[in-house]
Amino acid sequence: MSPRFDRRGEAVVLTLESNEVELLRTIPDEVRDALAEPSSKDDPVHNRLFPSAYLDPTEESAEQEWQELVHPELLQGRLAALELVSATLDRATTKRGRAEVELAPEEVEAWLSVVNDARLTLGTRLGVTEDAESEAIDPSDPEAATHAVYGWLTWFENDLVETLLG
Amino acid sequence: MSTAPLEVEEPLTDEAIGTDRPWLVIVWNDPVNLMSYVVYVFQKLFGYSREKATRLMLQVHHEGKAAVSEGTREKAEADVARLHAHGLWATMEHPS
Repeated sequence: MSPRFDRRGEAVVLTLESNEVELLRTIPDEVRDALAEPSSKDDPVHNRLFPSAYLDPTEESAEQEWQELVHPELLQGRLAALELVSATLDRATTKRGRAEVELAPEEVEAWLSVVNDARLTLGTRLGVTEDAESEAIDPSDPEAATHAVYGWLTWFENDLVETLLG
Repeated sequence: MSTAPLEVEEPLTDEAIGTDRPWLVIVWNDPVNLMSYVVYVFQKLFGYSREKATRLMLQVHHEGKAAVSEGTREKAEADVARLHAHGLWATMEHPS
């Protein structure tokens, strides 16, 4: 079995099983929904993706100015990453039943960003703890499927980071 | 003949000290971000060595937080934004 991530100079070749492609195609929409302006100021997923810079309540006006300055940029960067990930999946070629695509450095960064945002989104929604990885998924849990996706993304991201760290 | 007046140093006000004291950028522990990913981000954003990035990541993991950079308010605001762009939970503070 060939490695999932294969470094080729500055580029990374990504190889996926067809069911993995199907799963990854659902991720950009999942993240896009989480990035949308929430109906409540207390939306935990949105607050996790866009935290405050200042904890000090006396810096409220600095916080507001900072948010106005950086929020559009942070949002734009994340949306652009979603587009890049979808575009790379679209141009993947199928060889012997597996999809393969070569990712340029900025595409690798986009993948990392989207997969990490997806994990932040799902992890926050599921209320995961640091010990979650070692716990088996309870099949009767209504969120079992989401836990499985989260676990798979964790493994996928760790492989990608290990490839980049070399 | 008169002696030169003694030069009396103005006492530093809190405000004057405050302008020199750097802002600290704090990264907080969270249950989602991978240890390997946090090391990668510290190296990428701040140009830290693998050793320094790993030490800071472990400090976040074990102590719940670590100061990862410091500087003027503007620099700290920019660093916090870059950390948020990478999904890390970062804030900034001015130690008193």
